[in-house]
Amino acid sequence: MLTPLLENRFIDGRKVKDRILHHVSEYVKVHTNNAMIGKLVSVTIGDTPEVDVYIRNQKKAAEKVGIRFEICNWNSTASQEEVKRKLQSLNDDQEVLGVIIQRPIPKHINIRTLQSAIHPLKDIEGMNPASIGNIVYSDIAMAPCTAAASVELLKETGLTMKGLEVVMIGHSEIVGKPAAFLMMAEGATVTVCHHMTRSVAMHSRRADAVVVAVGKPNFLGPEMIKPGAAVIDIGINQVLDADGNTKIVGDCDTSAVKEVAGWVTPVPGGVGPVTVAMLMKNAISAHQKQLKAGWLTG
Amino acid sequence: MKIIDGKAFSQTLREKIKDHVTIIKKGANITPGLAVVLVGEDPASQVYVKNKGIQTKNAGMNSFEHRLEEDVSEKVLLNLIQKLNLDPNVHGILCQLPLPKHLNENLVINSIDPNKDVDGFHISNVGLLNTGQKSMVPCTPLGCLMLLREYVGNLSGKKATVIGRSNIVGKPMFNLLLRENCTVTVVHSKTKNIEEICKSSDILVAAVGRPKFVKGDWVKPGAVIIDVGINRVSITENGTEKSKLVGDVDFEDAKEKAMAITPVPGGVGPMTIACLLANTLVACCRTHNLAEPQELVL
Repeated sequence: MLTPLLENRFIDGRKVKDRILHHVSEYVKVHTNNAMIGKLVSVTIGDTPEVDVYIRNQKKAAEKVGIRFEICNWNSTASQEEVKRKLQSLNDDQEVLGVIIQRPIPKHINIRTLQSAIHPLKDIEGMNPASIGNIVYSDIAMAPCTAAASVELLKETGLTMKGLEVVMIGHSEIVGKPAAFLMMAEGATVTVCHHMTRSVAMHSRRADAVVVAVGKPNFLGPEMIKPGAAVIDIGINQVLDADGNTKIVGDCDTSAVKEVAGWVTPVPGGVGPVTVAMLMKNAISAHQKQLKAGWLTG
Repeated sequence: MKIIDGKAFSQTLREKIKDHVTIIKKGANITPGLAVVLVGEDPASQVYVKNKGIQTKNAGMNSFEHRLEEDVSEKVLLNLIQKLNLDPNVHGILCQLPLPKHLNENLVINSIDPNKDVDGFHISNVGLLNTGQKSMVPCTPLGCLMLLREYVGNLSGKKATVIGRSNIVGKPMFNLLLRENCTVTVVHSKTKNIEEICKSSDILVAAVGRPKFVKGDWVKPGAVIIDVGINRVSITENGTEKSKLVGDVDFEDAKEKAMAITPVPGGVGPMTIACLLANTLVACCRTHNLAEPQELVL
């Protein structure tokens, strides 16, 4: 098994992000002249200041690759049917390459109804059931971004995915399960653990790679991993430090895990930035699929 | 050790279905209908389709058979499916697989109305199942789950291993077991130490299509084994060569260790058709807003 030097054990998400964005911008450059690349539309419903930072990051990434990014805010009093109709008009609009629904949304609207309303070829977040179905069937071009980012970072280690033993901790519908299917599609042997697993450590200690998404700070300690294993930390938790300031940490005890693991993704600076990059990567996958479907001709 | 009697269990299941069909016939004057489309002359497929027709009628439902020539064009097949999608007497549509090579299987399956997709293979159903939403559940994994619930009881926290990652059995089985809060591993052709992983499992579901692939000493004492494989092998008995059906598990050796095991034939096989009938009934109830028979859905 490969083992990097101690100082190289952090997988730098920002570097991976830059590489992906560069690749996307090359695609955009090539295609801008002969096949229109539409805009991405970010939709918030009601007042959601907590997502501003995400939207800003997405906008920045879009600008960097040369894709237009439009921010829409719809009224919180809009009915589910109205919102659905508006989404459908985005589906019909050739100017729109992809749609992002920022969460949270008002309680009277069912998020799943909205996710199903977005056309699969514009579903750059990979949230429509049909998009998830494609992932399960190993057509992984437009996967949910966080799941896709975790796999991208795992590949960054240089480990061979075929036959790699991976333990996925967390079986959420938007991260754990799609990540498991993505890794399975790449030939990994995946075990999914969760809150009902009798001994997570028993499983995680024998894995070549551990991907953790449970939303609990310091959940994964150094005693839970095999020396040299890769650790991908999907968690984003807000905690208070000794001075009473808030800071963001992942699900693993990074400083201790780093001494044992072969690789670990930092939080912040690991999965987060790559997630934004995967959204842009999905945007060009959407463009390719739309071209293939004959949507963008003439 | 118990032999899991899929034949008896499926018989009980079919009776429950029949009772429920009688109720909705009387109460709502609706008869559930299943349309089966068979393309070509594949002898095994012909046997399956014939059995499905007989059992559908025995359950008090309408059976519609559509046989098309081996060289039928994709357009004709898609037109037929479109017609069945619109036919109010048809609540379930099953296109017998495999299709001849010149037909695009994915395209055909995904042209079935997801609400009538009683095989549960449409990508929307796959995605819905994956995100914990109401969907059609593939028949064979559903049958396996019913047997497991019957013989294991509460599955939560059990270690389960699915052998094989096919779209029709392995992956949906993985998903169903995760929904039951099992800790699940999917092993496959690229997996390095299948034996060791199997040995640590409380539940084994074998679906690889290789005769006697799972050996007796891969079985943890007290495990429950579901054998999905149906393999025809030739054996020599008293000097004459005979053909015989065997599963993916070495039954004679495994049964010495297991707490319960399905035989082949007579285990999972009969459950598959019973679940097809259950799905047809459920589809009918959903279409007409009738109460769903609780024990037949997830």
